[in-house]
Amino acid sequence: MTRPIRLLIVDDEKRLVETLSKRLTARGLYVEGVHSGSEALALAQAKPFDVALLDVRMPVMDGITVLREIKKIQPLLQVIMLSGNASINAAVEGMRLGAVEYLLKPANIEDVLAKIEEAFNKKRLQEERQAAQREPGD
Amino acid sequence: MARTRGRARGLWEPSRLLKRTILALLLTPPACLMLFALAVLFWGPHRSAAFFIPLVTALALSTALGWPLAAKLRRQLTALARQRDAFYEELLRLSKAASLGEVASSIAHDLNNPLAIMREEAGWIQDLMKGGDLQGAHTQAEIANSLQQIDIQIERSREITRRLLQWGRDSAPQTQSVDVNLLLNKTLYLLESELQTASVNVVKDLPPGLAQVRGGAPELRQVFLNLMKNALDAMKDRGGTLTLVTRSEADGVKIEITDTGQGIPAAAIEHIFEPFFTTKPASEGTGLGLPISRWIVEKLGGRIEVESREGMGTSFQVTLPAQPITPSTAPKVRNDPSVVEVAKASPGG
Repeated sequence: MTRPIRLLIVDDEKRLVETLSKRLTARGLYVEGVHSGSEALALAQAKPFDVALLDVRMPVMDGITVLREIKKIQPLLQVIMLSGNASINAAVEGMRLGAVEYLLKPANIEDVLAKIEEAFNKKRLQEERQAAQREPGD
Repeated sequence: MARTRGRARGLWEPSRLLKRTILALLLTPPACLMLFALAVLFWGPHRSAAFFIPLVTALALSTALGWPLAAKLRRQLTALARQRDAFYEELLRLSKAASLGEVASSIAHDLNNPLAIMREEAGWIQDLMKGGDLQGAHTQAEIANSLQQIDIQIERSREITRRLLQWGRDSAPQTQSVDVNLLLNKTLYLLESELQTASVNVVKDLPPGLAQVRGGAPELRQVFLNLMKNALDAMKDRGGTLTLVTRSEADGVKIEITDTGQGIPAAAIEHIFEPFFTTKPASEGTGLGLPISRWIVEKLGGRIEVESREGMGTSFQVTLPAQPITPSTAPKVRNDPSVVEVAKASPGG
């Protein structure tokens, strides 16, 4: 039995985080939402997550900065950038820096779910590979 | 650090340049006559004549040849000045079009969040309907809450699209006098979300009852937009404060736009009003914003000056002639919903 996907949503649009969390929780994910980069980093220090939805355009600490820092804390965390069309350059830049995918707002819940599941599977593969490397055959 | 001042040199006008040349040409014959008279006094007529007659002949010849040349030069310079003005008019038209594009793009971008929320709220209602227990109090409350939120986001979207409509309205050519404070507020409103993202505080000192300025609202808006965007660019890495001040002064209305960014180095400040001079990489700046702004300001009869301290900030001062108040130009007071106080961006995380 696969464990529930642990998702972190980072977006300064509070209501969006709230409703999206409700919908994804109803679909069997474990979701936590924060509204700023600093909150995201603090939470990442405390708890493990599989996938993160990260908004590109946020005040004070922007998405790219959060991406860089959060990958240092949880290197295997799969980050999906969330962006509006005007900030698509930043989303692509994020992928260059280690984000695994990007989503354009407003996004379809099916697309969101599909990309989260893909990212989660990627992470599982990476985890299995790491575990295999740590136990060389005798 | 030393404060450097820069003054935009007035755009050259052929009449000014030529006046001096023609004056020099006109003064030469009388000057020669006077010298001749002095020479006669000292050395007597014969010696003076031997020296002076060839000299005066040469000068007469050069004046005869020079006069048509000067006239030709004047015609060419006038044509060049006209061409320069035509180029600036076109540049202004293009930069207005570019600004409209940016306004539209920023509005489209700002609409993404309300749209995303509305999609999730509608989606949540659909999820609940599929879930079954539609009559339950909890479900009913959730649905009501989501519907309410959709309406809130629609209101928000209306406000956003109204900005585009307002921009279009304000782009129409105007012959009336301009309320500078109102124009500054409208321009600031446009940059609101960018200012917040860059963590820039806005301080306004715009006293009411400011004298109005003679015409050109859409053009002046470009100037304010350009200056505010430059200020924003100077501060976008570390945040800062944007200060807007207006004053009625003896020689007109003074508008000061100040930032707390990196400042302009003394070596560069002499050149910032020159076309294509820019310190930004090619993809970001064309180096035309300030030349266009200077051209607009001078066309309106004003002047533009800059003061900067490296590491501390820059201040641009635009002075424009005030419109004398007559019954037809007296400011009409009306409730303009587009004038909003821009909230200060919260400084800390």
